[in-house]
Amino acid sequence: MSRFRSYLSHPFWGSLLVLVFSYLGLKFGIGYLLPAVGVHSAPVPSSVLLQYMLTVFVAILLYVSTDEERWRAFKQPIRDVMVDPARRTMRAVLLVAFPVLAGFVTYGRVRAEVGAPPSLRSIHPAPPNDLTFRGERIRLTSLQNPLRESGLLEERVRTGGRLYVQNCVPCHGDRLDGEGPAAHALNPVPADFTDNGSISQLTESYVFWRIAKGGPGLPVEGAPWNSAMPVWEDILTADEIWSVILFIYERSGSRPRTWEEAEGTGEGDEG
Amino acid sequence: MGLQTPWLIAVLAALLASRRCWLVMPALLVAGQAAAQDVERGEAIYRTWCQDCHGEDGKGDGPAADRMLPRPRDFVAARYQIRTTASGALPTDDDLMRVMGEGLPGTAMPGWPNLSDDEKRDVIAYIKSLSPFFERETPETLQRSVDPGGGPEAATAGREIFERLECDRCHGRLGRGDGSSAASLEDWRDLPIRATDLTEPWLFNGGMGADAIHTRFLTGLDGTPMPSNQDALEAGIVTEQDLWHLAHYVASLGPEREPDVEEVVRIERRETLPGGPDDEAWESVRAFYVPLIGQIVEAPRQFSPTVDGVWAQGVHNGSELALRIVWDDPSNSPDPEWQEWQDRIAATLYADEVEIPTDPLPDLLFLQFPSEVPEGRERPYFLMGDGRDPVYLWLWHSRRGAVEARAAGLGAAEALDSAGSGLAASAKWEAGQWRVVFRRPLATEEDGALGFAEGVPIPVAFFASDGSSGETGGRGAISSWYYVVLQPPTSRAAFVAPLIAMLVTGGLGMFAVRRAQRSVHSEGRG
Amino acid sequence: MFDKTRTWATVAVACLAWACGGGGDAGAGGEAPAVEEAAEAAPIIDPATAGTIAGVIAFKGEAAAPQAIDMSEEPDCADGYGSEGPLTQSVVVNDGRLANVFVYVKEGLDLTFPAPPDPVLLNQENCRYHPHIVGLQVDQPLQISNSDPLLHNINTQPSLNRGFNISQPQAGMETTRDFGVPEVMIPVKCDVHGWMRAYIGVLDHPYFAVSAADGSFSMPKLPPGGYVVEAWHELYGVQTMDVVVGEGETVEVSFTYDAGMAENAEVPLGEPLVLGH
Repeated sequence: MSRFRSYLSHPFWGSLLVLVFSYLGLKFGIGYLLPAVGVHSAPVPSSVLLQYMLTVFVAILLYVSTDEERWRAFKQPIRDVMVDPARRTMRAVLLVAFPVLAGFVTYGRVRAEVGAPPSLRSIHPAPPNDLTFRGERIRLTSLQNPLRESGLLEERVRTGGRLYVQNCVPCHGDRLDGEGPAAHALNPVPADFTDNGSISQLTESYVFWRIAKGGPGLPVEGAPWNSAMPVWEDILTADEIWSVILFIYERSGSRPRTWEEAEGTGEGDEG
Repeated sequence: MGLQTPWLIAVLAALLASRRCWLVMPALLVAGQAAAQDVERGEAIYRTWCQDCHGEDGKGDGPAADRMLPRPRDFVAARYQIRTTASGALPTDDDLMRVMGEGLPGTAMPGWPNLSDDEKRDVIAYIKSLSPFFERETPETLQRSVDPGGGPEAATAGREIFERLECDRCHGRLGRGDGSSAASLEDWRDLPIRATDLTEPWLFNGGMGADAIHTRFLTGLDGTPMPSNQDALEAGIVTEQDLWHLAHYVASLGPEREPDVEEVVRIERRETLPGGPDDEAWESVRAFYVPLIGQIVEAPRQFSPTVDGVWAQGVHNGSELALRIVWDDPSNSPDPEWQEWQDRIAATLYADEVEIPTDPLPDLLFLQFPSEVPEGRERPYFLMGDGRDPVYLWLWHSRRGAVEARAAGLGAAEALDSAGSGLAASAKWEAGQWRVVFRRPLATEEDGALGFAEGVPIPVAFFASDGSSGETGGRGAISSWYYVVLQPPTSRAAFVAPLIAMLVTGGLGMFAVRRAQRSVHSEGRG
Repeated sequence: MFDKTRTWATVAVACLAWACGGGGDAGAGGEAPAVEEAAEAAPIIDPATAGTIAGVIAFKGEAAAPQAIDMSEEPDCADGYGSEGPLTQSVVVNDGRLANVFVYVKEGLDLTFPAPPDPVLLNQENCRYHPHIVGLQVDQPLQISNSDPLLHNINTQPSLNRGFNISQPQAGMETTRDFGVPEVMIPVKCDVHGWMRAYIGVLDHPYFAVSAADGSFSMPKLPPGGYVVEAWHELYGVQTMDVVVGEGETVEVSFTYDAGMAENAEVPLGEPLVLGH
């Protein structure tokens, strides 16, 4: 036990332990342990993991080298392996193991299979100032949902709900979570309206633009060639689109961003 | 009533203990359920989440129902497909809970994890109140025997039962839903219904695995042509063991879980390319599953397509590429046997769309590529390109074979002017499955045709139409963009680089050790 | 609050224990058969006064000719039909008389009839149902049998009763079922053989008949009284008639169908379900 503790307080073995624990924590703790206890999380990508590990390594080096005594103690085991005649076997094993490992890693890198190119796309690209809806020019800036002021709100929401189930459910789902029966075959996946980063970040005019012009109406940064979102102006009238918008906000329990909120921060910067 | 659950249990226990109380028991149980389930609360939830498909009165005729196949359940008629009860019987509450929790795979019915169990029970109380049948009878779960176990022997024995019970009449000889009666099948509303493709168990409405399959044998799928075999079992025509063997055989027809989807279809490099669609060499080439969904982006739309996925596999030899695409389609269209099916599908699904085709139609497969390997991230629109950026197509027609074409929008494909780049295709339809092999030289001089480069991701998208379901002119099943990557030849670098890395690492190690030892020696001397 | 609940529960347990224990062995169990007996007692129809409704179903105009059925996928069945081959049964007209019409007393009876214990037969032979139109009483056994050495499924699709869909994969198999609620008519089909159709009429009394090949039908032993009689045909729809039966009288009733009726015919299959509350 005391022997174990002395190992722990030794700069070299202690540092090694910190490295191992950092790795395990970053690799498995964040991605798998947190969700297991109910905290929303996702695995750390390997490139980020490498960066974190480098940071930890540099921090350890800084720490052990601040004190002359500690630095010497830190180097001692390494030095021992290199020179101690009693550790000849260990030395030979390491001298073979390191090159083999390096060769193996290099081979893996050279042989790495070509993957799909990263699909970088802006989820909420900046909207245009105005759009042409069925031949009619509409100014998007400061555009409000006309149905909110027209009375009969409840009925409009119901109309929107009917249109939603007829047209949108296959992709965006009955629960509005982007998990409709057709969603599994789509890349990018359909928008999840119940997500905080979705429609609650957007003004209704923005949503109107996205529905009316669909995938092909996206600017280049939105990767218009990939989106399966139809150009709804070909299928629905403006009133119908506005009522669907009323419905998706109502049903997902979210609130559209107002123009006052959108001003200054600039809608569409995120994503 | 303020009776708490523990007390209810205590009362029931007391009753059980005092015997002869069975007469009062049902009344108490009903009272207990009434306390636990609330029809009014259930109706409120129903109005929010269920009625758009299942209808205001629960008749399965909500505004979304018209585009679905199969249609949503009619809670008034109360014919339930997925149950643990006898044919014609009502489902138990547990049956309904399971369907609400997990949904019905292969249909538009999702699971409802957003509802709590209590909320689901309330909804069940409400949908039961919609039908007088639930007042008349109490459903009972069928007794089932214990699974004697699977394995290859059970599956082989099950195959004989499959033939003896003539399951192939609807499901087809190899289970792909292409039996001789498949084209005439109707559900209880006289709407066309597809015989289940038993090789795609992840789409089974009642779930996959021998246990679920066995339950379906006993209960049948009410409202569909699938009968219950309970009577045949009781009559001794099949035994308990037979049905379990059959269940294991059916389970063995498909994978154990839904196939994984990968974005890249890897094209292996080999000296010789496999030959036609039935060449055994294809068995050793990895197949990639690409799920397809109805083309509902542009008119004419198809909400319930026949084809739900294709398997793609490929080999190249540095100068030529062979791609085999395999997919299940119960009809070798055009087929006069399926003409009535085509008309019924058109009447059921395309009523509100502009064109309703009536002439016999072929099966089609489109492989879309960009007209050149994209440099940046831009590529053509995934649905047959557009005027700005057309797609290069391999267009296969079930009667005319394959041609190279280009398209600048849905339904706007035009064959390339000249002979193209030498695309050749051979196809075979057998037992409910198309197998199509495309071959083309990698390089091309043709304008608008794609030259295949090795080692780079090349976008590819799939589009399949089943003529016998009236799929033509943009109706069909689509995929998003995927990639094919032609495996480059193994370069020398693959061996040289690791060797250099080993030498350098080894050398540095030796150098470090030498230096350390030398310094110790010099210290010792000094 | 909790204490109160506990008290109530204790009282409830005590009451129930009393209710259960007090009755003795005969108790509630003993009463049930008595009630059943009462229900099973058949009404007494005096043969001296009973009358009969009889008649023919006439047919005017050009009847749709029976269509050939393509049974090529079942040669075993097709062989049973000789050189003429199998024909559809939905319209069978002989010398201006229509067969396969279900005639029954729709209104006017207020007697309760017990289910006869004898089963009514529905056989599948040469890929066709025999008979094509079946009548039976509520709770009367329907014995379904298969004379063909191949798979049939019997898919009944009632509205008011619970339907069933069962397989009979082998010759000689028999299944017995019954229907608990009157319903005119219940379609029966075989999904393996799309051409196979039969219709079952379920009534809570024995006054029904199916017109024979010569269009004749007869419903004897009717107590005197006024009745509404309905005729049902799968293609030409329904017709009703008021009939008064005097003591010991035989009333001649004839229904006339004509070819033009097929176009706008309403062919009721059960009644649409009404909500139970």
